[in-house]
Amino acid sequence: MSFNPADLGYLVPYLILAATGMLLVLAEAFYHGEDRTALATLTAAGAFASAIASVVLFRQLEGNTKISLLGDMLVADRTGYVLSALFAVTTGLAALSSPAHQREHDWQIGEYYGVMLLSASGMVMLAHAANLVTVFLGIENMSIGVYVMCAMRRRSRRGNEAAMKYFLIGAFATGFLMYGIALIYGAGGTTKIAQLATVLSQTKNPGLVVAGGFLLVIAFGFKVAAVPFHMWAPDAYEGAPTPVTAFMAAAVKAAAVAAMIRVFGTALGGDVVPFGTLGWASPLVVIAAITITVGNITAVRQDNIKRMLAYSSISHAGVLLVGVSALGLGAPSANTSLVYYLIAYSFTTMGAFAIVAYVGSRNRERLLVDDWAGLGAQHPAIALGMTILLLSFGGIPPTGGFFAKFYIFKAAMEVYDGQLLWLVVVGVINSAISIYYYLRIVTAMYFREATQPFAPTRSGGLLFVIVVCPLLVLELGIMPGWWLRLVG
Amino acid sequence: MPGSFVLPLVLGLPILGAIFVMCMPRSETTLHRGLGLAFTIATLVASLFMLRYFNPREAGFQLVFDTEWIPGLGAHFKTGVDGISVFLVLLTTLLMPLTLLCTGKAIEKHVREFTAAMLVLETGMLGAFVSLDLFLFYVAWEVMLIPMYLLIGIWGGQRRLYASIKFVIYTMVGSLLMLVAIFYVYVQAGSVLGGYTTDLERLLTVALPYNAQVWCFAAFALAFAIKVPLFPLHTWLPDAHVEAPTAGSVILAGVLLKFGIYGFLRYAMPMFPHGAAVWAPTIAILSVIGIIYGAIVAFAQDDVKKLVAYSSVSHLGFCALGVFALTSYGISGSIFAMLSHGLTTGGLFLGIGVLYERRHTRRLSEYGGIWKQMPVFAGLFLIVVMGSAGLPALSGFVGEFLTILGTFIAGDTLPGGYELPMPRLLGALAATGVVLGAIYLLWMFQKVFFGKLDKAKNGKLPDLNGRELATFIPLVIGIFLLGVFPRPLLFVMEPAVQKFTRDFGRRITECDGPPHSYGTRSCDPRMKGQADIQRNLDDVARGAAGVSHTLGGTGGTGGTVNTPPGAGARGDEGAAGNGAGGSAESAGSAGSAGTGRPTP
Repeated sequence: MSFNPADLGYLVPYLILAATGMLLVLAEAFYHGEDRTALATLTAAGAFASAIASVVLFRQLEGNTKISLLGDMLVADRTGYVLSALFAVTTGLAALSSPAHQREHDWQIGEYYGVMLLSASGMVMLAHAANLVTVFLGIENMSIGVYVMCAMRRRSRRGNEAAMKYFLIGAFATGFLMYGIALIYGAGGTTKIAQLATVLSQTKNPGLVVAGGFLLVIAFGFKVAAVPFHMWAPDAYEGAPTPVTAFMAAAVKAAAVAAMIRVFGTALGGDVVPFGTLGWASPLVVIAAITITVGNITAVRQDNIKRMLAYSSISHAGVLLVGVSALGLGAPSANTSLVYYLIAYSFTTMGAFAIVAYVGSRNRERLLVDDWAGLGAQHPAIALGMTILLLSFGGIPPTGGFFAKFYIFKAAMEVYDGQLLWLVVVGVINSAISIYYYLRIVTAMYFREATQPFAPTRSGGLLFVIVVCPLLVLELGIMPGWWLRLVG
Repeated sequence: MPGSFVLPLVLGLPILGAIFVMCMPRSETTLHRGLGLAFTIATLVASLFMLRYFNPREAGFQLVFDTEWIPGLGAHFKTGVDGISVFLVLLTTLLMPLTLLCTGKAIEKHVREFTAAMLVLETGMLGAFVSLDLFLFYVAWEVMLIPMYLLIGIWGGQRRLYASIKFVIYTMVGSLLMLVAIFYVYVQAGSVLGGYTTDLERLLTVALPYNAQVWCFAAFALAFAIKVPLFPLHTWLPDAHVEAPTAGSVILAGVLLKFGIYGFLRYAMPMFPHGAAVWAPTIAILSVIGIIYGAIVAFAQDDVKKLVAYSSVSHLGFCALGVFALTSYGISGSIFAMLSHGLTTGGLFLGIGVLYERRHTRRLSEYGGIWKQMPVFAGLFLIVVMGSAGLPALSGFVGEFLTILGTFIAGDTLPGGYELPMPRLLGALAATGVVLGAIYLLWMFQKVFFGKLDKAKNGKLPDLNGRELATFIPLVIGIFLLGVFPRPLLFVMEPAVQKFTRDFGRRITECDGPPHSYGTRSCDPRMKGQADIQRNLDDVARGAAGVSHTLGGTGGTGGTVNTPPGAGARGDEGAAGNGAGGSAESAGSAGSAGTGRPTP
């Protein structure tokens, strides 16, 4: 393992996030006053600067170049930079939507922003991970920050419960992850992701690989909230402060999928594991099908919008797993489609939760679907934005969500011999189910009368997120060509 | 291509109008109404330019506009019209301004949003009619859904929540299964053509395996059958119609239902001829059931809107039957009947809207004897009713006559492998629908306009005002013109319809096998039996289960198993093809044996 100072140039996005994060923790110590808008602005500035750095580095790399960094611990490639830019932008959006929520609900804690950026640095590490050890470090770096953010609203009992649950289950998943990595290492003799594929196909201990692969599937299942490892998600999403929920649902999930792209796409990709014709994907496709279905059907029964969106995000995790399975089974467009889906899903989620934060206020959080009755008449622009985002969640054109789903399912259809056709049918039928509960919110907003006037939480940052996300989601759906060239 | 700017203009104007209207201040309702009307009229004028550039003697697509949309996916923004779609586009652009005009003061809340929704809906509908790209078609198809949902849900009647959700769920289930079939076609065609594309004309050069055609057709047919709607998938329609505002009903019946028939003609049947052959008997029988069932149920209604809704089930049954009769009479008649239905049912719903605005009820028993009060309205409405009932010299007659005629003679002209059960009986049964239609429509007219004026509230009903007259007169003129001069329309449709049947006949005779381009595997229908035998031998060789395929009675149009010279060579060729096709071939043929494929 050698340290080459030149490698640091490729890690500027990471370094910006980490440095700004530590700076913010320090700044909080010297900060006077209640309102934390200045800290949030600094956070967003750091995050967007990191995103710009990623874009610059992205443009310097040729199509398929992979540059090994820090002795094969990290890798610089185009997919990695697109994803780290996405994580940084998502973090910036989450930071912008936070101070108003902090003010309205009395949890003005400045460390929050530092922790958020440090957590984001873990995500960037995941996007560039080239070694199972960095995968582990990245996941822990990211998760510990999110446990803390989840618990920030100290006076809320639900918040405490959510944080505790999330922390315990997260620690449990870490055990699976560690154990899985250990077994894979035992079978292959290395933790370098690029080498594992070849090493594992010649292993003398296929049993170890099978067991290790299963443990990794379980560990990532916890992280992306796939059924049956999803039990923590609805409680955590409901109890956490809304901007944190957005951060968890969008960025944390996306980062876990980024790690899956590395681990399952490269390390375990190819003809490695004797699991049957589908390899390690055989447990994964079953989990994907169950996740989509259970997530959707449970969401139909929810009256609380945050819980509904939590279950919806579980079902989206299922769709992402379809993409990961297709990736492992060698579908050519799977990688692109996954990255595209993450982009569309992240913006949709950030926008939707920002609107949830906007609609609620100090006295009334308005989390029930019934509380949204009449929003369309009183705040037509906000309701229109939410409608666009919900249609994107449901996969109706012309939104980014439709095209993302289209692309993932297309990748699944490319798998040899149409082996994932049934999974596509399951996914598509679930889309029809999901329309029902997304339209419940639209129905409440437009078709019913308000019982009392809305008193939304107003702030510039929040409004920025609310305006930008629906527009981006529409743009992603109408003009996907530019984004495809970017991620493909 | 000359005139290629017309269709993008026609598509762009309404969406531009929607954006424009949304930018206006909220309280300026008159301005919103005026702008909506102006933009729909501008669209109508733009669509009339189609006729200037349209060559009626040409069968293929004209006014084609083609530009790359999503390069990585092979999706194009490609639009064009042929004799089948050109009048449907005109019908849409004609009905839209009339609908907005008739709405007038009936919509008072959220006028801006209403106008914008109507304009977005118009773009979606026109896009689905003129799209020549599967991806663009699907996008347009879904774009229609949301504005219609909002129209029913926001401006609808008492049970609008139920009706709007039911409408969306029904449509979504159908269209999503269609999406799966689109994926399948897309991926298969991509491997045959050596590059992904969603261009319809290029997709049509690919022959899919028999079994895949059957399933894909089923998926497309479900989406379209829900839209038509075919019995027993029609239950969303009466709810949607009853709850929708007048404008929504007019557009729903006048245009949206046509997408079912149009989808069969443009997409499902040309892409999957073998699938069409397998499902045609089922669909034809369901159409006839729909014709009679719709008519009988319509007779039992007290709610006028429900009556007209069920009459749509009946009338669209004729259209579906005509298409699946696969004769040029039947198909031309079907398109003609769609145009006529758009005008007459549009007129019926407008008339109901006029009555509802005055009396705020749709119950037949609440009316009676209002001829004297509203003589102008009664006269115009009578023409509309007669047109709908199929009185000769009015529009309804031509379409229904042609579809029945087309069905009646279908037995003589069907291509090999495509059969209808007892076409003469189907035609005769369908003809009873015409009689039933006359009964319930005249009964409705009589209950409303004749009899004693015994309800006090009916005593002082004002006759049509200028705005209402302006909406009725174009429709009545159209109904007359279509009935008296059907020739020009049929003349324009003819080349496209002939091309449709010709292509269909050519495609269905091509032997199935692994996905390939039409014309690259040389096998003529007489060799089909040989191909089957060869495939069965292959199946046996692979140990595939379920080879209970009967070999007797094969032999295509000849009716006998003949062994022309060179059969051995063909067998070899088939074997070579199998070798190249790999397991896809074995999967396809084993599957087709398993499903009990009808031997031609």
